[in-house]
Amino acid sequence: MKYVLKKFTFALTLVSAFVPVLASAAVPKAYTYDMVPPMDNKEAFVEWMATNRGEDKKFLSQRWDRYQALIQRNDLTNEQTKRAFLMTPREEFVRKISLTHSYDDAFLDIGFGVTISGPHAVSRMTSVLDIQKTDKVLEIGTGSGYQSSILGHITDKVWTIEIIKPLAERTRGVYDGIIAKGYTEYKNVNTKQADGYYGWEEAAPFDKIIVTCGIDHIPPALLKQLKTGGMMIIPVGPPGAQHVLKITKEANPDGTIKIARSDIYNGRVVPFVPFTKLEGDAIVGSHNK
Amino acid sequence: MTNKVIDSTNSENSPLSSSREWSQTGLRQLLMYAAVGCVAGAIIALQIGIMRIFSEGSWAHFGSLVVSLAMLGFGLTSAVMCLARNWFERHWFGVIAGSLAAFAPLIVGANLAAQQLPFNPIFLVSDALQKWRLVANFAFYLLPFLAGSLFLGTVFLRAQKVFSRVYFADLLGSGLCGLLTLGSLFLFRPDNLVLVPVVLAGIGGILWFVGLGSRKWAIVIGLISIAAGAIHIHLPGAAKISKLSVSDYKGVSYARKFPDSKQQYEGISPFGHLEVYSSSYLHFAPGLSDNASLNLEEMPANAYLGLYVDGDGPIGIMRELSDKDTAYFHYLPMIYPYLITTKPKTFVVQFGGGISTMVALHSSSNVTVGEANPAFLKAFRESAVLKNFTNDILNRVSVIPYDGRLFLANTSERYDVIDLSLADSAGLSNPGGFAIVEKYSYTQEAMQHYMHALSDAGILSVTLWNKEEPPKSVLKLFATMAAAARANGDKDISQNFFVASSYLSTVTVLYKRSGFTAGELTKLREYTSAMSFDEIYSPGIKVDLAKADHVFKDFHDSIFSADISKPGSQIESTDQEPVAEGSTSEISTQTGAEVGTNEPAVDGTALTVPASLLSQIAWQALIHDDWQGFSKRYLFDVRPLTNNHPYFAAYVFPKDLPKITDRLELFQDEWGYLLLWATLAIACAAGLILISIPVIFGWRTAFSRYPGKSQTILYFACLGFGYITVEVGLIAQFIQALSNATVSASVLITGMLVFSGIGSFVSDKYAHSARATLPKIFVGIGALLISYSLMLNPILNAIGGLPYAVRLICCFALIAPPAFLMGFPMATGMGILTRLKKESMFLWAWGVNGCFSVIGAALVPIIATSFGLAAVIAIAGAAYLIAIPAFFGVLKPINYKINSIT
Repeated sequence: MKYVLKKFTFALTLVSAFVPVLASAAVPKAYTYDMVPPMDNKEAFVEWMATNRGEDKKFLSQRWDRYQALIQRNDLTNEQTKRAFLMTPREEFVRKISLTHSYDDAFLDIGFGVTISGPHAVSRMTSVLDIQKTDKVLEIGTGSGYQSSILGHITDKVWTIEIIKPLAERTRGVYDGIIAKGYTEYKNVNTKQADGYYGWEEAAPFDKIIVTCGIDHIPPALLKQLKTGGMMIIPVGPPGAQHVLKITKEANPDGTIKIARSDIYNGRVVPFVPFTKLEGDAIVGSHNK
Repeated sequence: MTNKVIDSTNSENSPLSSSREWSQTGLRQLLMYAAVGCVAGAIIALQIGIMRIFSEGSWAHFGSLVVSLAMLGFGLTSAVMCLARNWFERHWFGVIAGSLAAFAPLIVGANLAAQQLPFNPIFLVSDALQKWRLVANFAFYLLPFLAGSLFLGTVFLRAQKVFSRVYFADLLGSGLCGLLTLGSLFLFRPDNLVLVPVVLAGIGGILWFVGLGSRKWAIVIGLISIAAGAIHIHLPGAAKISKLSVSDYKGVSYARKFPDSKQQYEGISPFGHLEVYSSSYLHFAPGLSDNASLNLEEMPANAYLGLYVDGDGPIGIMRELSDKDTAYFHYLPMIYPYLITTKPKTFVVQFGGGISTMVALHSSSNVTVGEANPAFLKAFRESAVLKNFTNDILNRVSVIPYDGRLFLANTSERYDVIDLSLADSAGLSNPGGFAIVEKYSYTQEAMQHYMHALSDAGILSVTLWNKEEPPKSVLKLFATMAAAARANGDKDISQNFFVASSYLSTVTVLYKRSGFTAGELTKLREYTSAMSFDEIYSPGIKVDLAKADHVFKDFHDSIFSADISKPGSQIESTDQEPVAEGSTSEISTQTGAEVGTNEPAVDGTALTVPASLLSQIAWQALIHDDWQGFSKRYLFDVRPLTNNHPYFAAYVFPKDLPKITDRLELFQDEWGYLLLWATLAIACAAGLILISIPVIFGWRTAFSRYPGKSQTILYFACLGFGYITVEVGLIAQFIQALSNATVSASVLITGMLVFSGIGSFVSDKYAHSARATLPKIFVGIGALLISYSLMLNPILNAIGGLPYAVRLICCFALIAPPAFLMGFPMATGMGILTRLKKESMFLWAWGVNGCFSVIGAALVPIIATSFGLAAVIAIAGAAYLIAIPAFFGVLKPINYKINSIT
């Protein structure tokens, strides 16, 4: 046991070396849920974000390009998720070693046998959840913190649980860092290190639950903590090749409860892993052959 | 060097007169033969070691790739030696001394270096760096193979006159050391397994120099080997570097990170590196109904231990639960057969971690379990922790300590329930893909045996992960079970099956010999509905087949189309209802009682997911005996599993492979199969280059005057390809009788190489009459192999019913005739090249043989998955027959006349 902890400490020390260095400039303008960056023009977006959020124009440009690709591929399907994607600095949540790949259409290694999901996966799952400002959302598997940060731009009621202690601590550190920098919206993201199998009972019930770790069954406690009328999303399969299971919990007119499984496109068969990539301003790949 | 040592500087250029070290007699000569055997054995041990290291650290199929390609080191060595033969002739002593001195340090150094540069398979597609890491792994591991092959190549060069004997030593050493290495797996953990080839390389070096009479060099080699071993043991600890890097994405890595995790058991054996961890974070309930959340008070806590084999897993080990806690069994799909039986006599085909056995124990009057992996049984019998945790589960059941499939095939016992649940399978989210593994427990023949072993009202229950989208393995299971029922004489199988699934979870197929009664069907349907499972097939189910075209097209497009689907949009091109929500059930929240509906899942209003609808359509095809029609329309290969074709793998048709190169991540579960194609392509390209180089660069000096070059290539290519094909193909087939891949590999490697070694030794006597005798030998090999391809399946199945020791004897007896004869052609062919003074061709032929061994090894699983294991052996037989005309090309003497004209 001691050996394991020592290994963790050592790993933590090593891994902390890869945590991205925070930009020195503070966020110029305080966050409000009604602030919306320009969403129809790249230059205007980059300029607005640089002015109001103090972010690096290089990453902003990459974010915009990825945003365009996600829209074309229908990974971003509602306004609140589009806005959240544009407002979230993904580069803050990847390891320094992967910084140049922050906006690649790929999942990236973040250590501990965990990945930060690709922008397509996060966007698609968040779009499908159709989260509203008033929704209470629980995330199981904080990982890099990127998914919960997207959620944090849509609602101020986010709870997230990470099972791996050093990863939970590292990500909490990332959050504390960017909150200190001025990203006050992330104060609404509640984190804890625990076994997500049992959910977060004190904060339950939830309108939406998103599970981002593999398990052979849906934890009953999570279904219990899901409100009637709520929705849960669980990717199933190995990293990078997952199918996303959607579970709805609804009340029948007679008071009985109905639980239904489908995939995230209401039963449509869709390839979940991207085939396309952005080259310059054009999307290339098998989807537009 | 003492004066007894052959002085290499005085040696003459002709190999026939220079090999004085092989003219010695008595003990010294014997020691040198033993040295060849040890070094050859070290190479085999290194291959096995690297495979085990990859199994433990990442995934076995990447180890196969690396080892296969590293074996091309033989081709590379032969090409270089062929071009610089004279130089090697002159410096033979230095080359041998250098290669022996470097062998052990290179084994240790290459392995430690590779472990500091682990590659992460799951990023192989998305991260270009990972490909280079894989290349680096290959480059590191190639180095010791180069040292080993340099030694053997130089020895062969010097020992042309006594080649058949040296070759005998090479094969015998490989065979025996292969067995020794597999035995050493009882002693060494995978992270220390490289010590075995280090020791063998050291012994080989010492024996060689003692044989030569050089005590000094023998001591030097001994000290170097000891130093190499010491470095492997002590350096990683001192320098804080890893001896064996285990991927963070292996199941065991997660278990080790849980804050309260504790290793409760560890066992090492050739049957795998078993580890058992306890942690409150481990949760197992494969296939658990979502409705458990509504009616179950709580899931039992700390109810499981996680069992990991070579770092893969977890396989759940369930604690003996109180009656209150076992309430959740009701929500597991394994409960299905017990819903319609009362205290049955139950047989669990594969014990595994014991979850389905635990369910069976709570519902049956009597439980018998089969388990082919002795390491599992040892763990449950000897570990106090496991015994306490499971309330000594193995003591409460009858244990068949071998394959349940073989027991049921040969018993007169009859069972009310036969259960095969999630055997040999990984969970829903295991990354890294799967190697091509024979699944004899799931073949049509196995299912027939299970069905035969049922009592009159008995039920066979098979549960499989339903984790693929589009579905693959479940369709193969359906087809296999239906084919088995028909093969058993059930013409109309419509009343014998009930099938239910949970989307992206599990599927359960129930078969009842006498057909389900109306009352039983009502119970099964009610339960299915109450659990929110999807009803896939039951007698009388209505399926709207009009949707079939749409479903087939949609699945095809999901993989191969250039289009992307739009979320929430209606499905184009058909007038059908959109295929939408999953099937549902209704549960009373007030009373907690289950109020299921008996309506079929598909009735036009209650729509189901396409994967479930596809399964329903599949069953309609099976009931109407039209699987061929279904298969033609489906995008993947879903032929049933048979003993000839026992694979849940290779779903992508070879013709579709070019279409998927830009979307490999969609096929992560097929990476084991796809890597074989990659290995084959690389091996073919590299082999072609390595074979061509000596011909091109040696054209002016030698090759232009050698007649029969193409026939010589063909001859040695056929031998290399044929030999490895038989070996690998028979390893796969003999699992049928021996129940275990490790035992089968041990028997085949040892049996083949030793009997072939003897053949090689004996061939010397017939060397001068080879023109007449060898064609007969080839005909004998071809006839034996082709007859094996036709008859082996039933023979192995029959052998499987015998006591284990007798099985082993029978298997060796089956191997001996072809293996003995297969020892002749290589030694005879090389001898002929020597006698005809085709010195340049001698090493080249050895390289051709080596390159085609690598190609053959990669090709076997591809042939097996496409055409079956019988085809593998038949093709090997054909290769030996093709070698007959090629042999006459080898016999053509050098045309000195042409040479003098040119």
